[in-house]
Amino acid sequence: MSSDKNECSLEDVCDLLDKLALTQLHLMEDKMRCELGIESSINNGSIHLAKSRYIMGQSSVSKERLPTESSPEFTASITCNTVEEDYVKQVKVIETQGGINPIHWFGVLVPQNLHKAKGIFQNAINFVIECVNINIQLLENLDNYNILLKHKNNLLKDVKEELK
Amino acid sequence: MALQAAVKGKLISVIGDEDTCVGFLLGGIGEINKNRHPNFMVVDKNTPVSEIEECFKRFVKRDDIDIILINQNVAELIRHVIDSHTAPVPAVLEIPSKDHPYDASKDSILRRAKGMFNPDDLVH
Repeated sequence: MSSDKNECSLEDVCDLLDKLALTQLHLMEDKMRCELGIESSINNGSIHLAKSRYIMGQSSVSKERLPTESSPEFTASITCNTVEEDYVKQVKVIETQGGINPIHWFGVLVPQNLHKAKGIFQNAINFVIECVNINIQLLENLDNYNILLKHKNNLLKDVKEELK
Repeated sequence: MALQAAVKGKLISVIGDEDTCVGFLLGGIGEINKNRHPNFMVVDKNTPVSEIEECFKRFVKRDDIDIILINQNVAELIRHVIDSHTAPVPAVLEIPSKDHPYDASKDSILRRAKGMFNPDDLVH
């Protein structure tokens, strides 16, 4: 009776392990898709940054224009927040209005390409958040898999001992 | 994108080449806090590895940062530090750059995830 119970439970554990392994493969595929989305956004955005440099001059769109430690303080207009929905942790984007417009670091009359680059990188941030959420799920899935694998090994030991 | 002006969220920081930093800062993730600490670092070919390592550790310690974006080629320089960071927060995301396409075999999270399919484990 006890052996039947164990075998049944072992079968359930094996099924669950298979499901977790399959989920992991899907998550890995999703992560790679997201990373390729980020790559494509960065490549497109970089082309528009290069076009802006061509129009405005080499040093006009460069790290020299970024704020430094001696610049006045300012807050980010895009931040994130971790929330837990149905026992699943998820990162969400928060857009704050009324902050500074980063485009003004590069001038007042900037080419249209810089506005396009801004839009493309904002889209990349959405891919980033999606990718971070997948990473969280990947790691949680891995933890669950390892716990179940240990449980399965214990069950196997019990079955072997009962057979002896 | 959710519009929640009342909620003060956590920062997304970036360590990467000039275009990555300029781009993401244009997107609106940049911040200089009250202590004049930026949440970004531009890495070029002359930047010492120790400086990148120090910056990464500083970002990990900051409790107002939830996500650290780092170019994969820069992450390769401080791989030992990135691999030793296993805490879920801040989440470290390796991103490609315009000069270095994404390589899944180098990604620390994917390498950990692939550990599940280790043949030694599957034998059990």
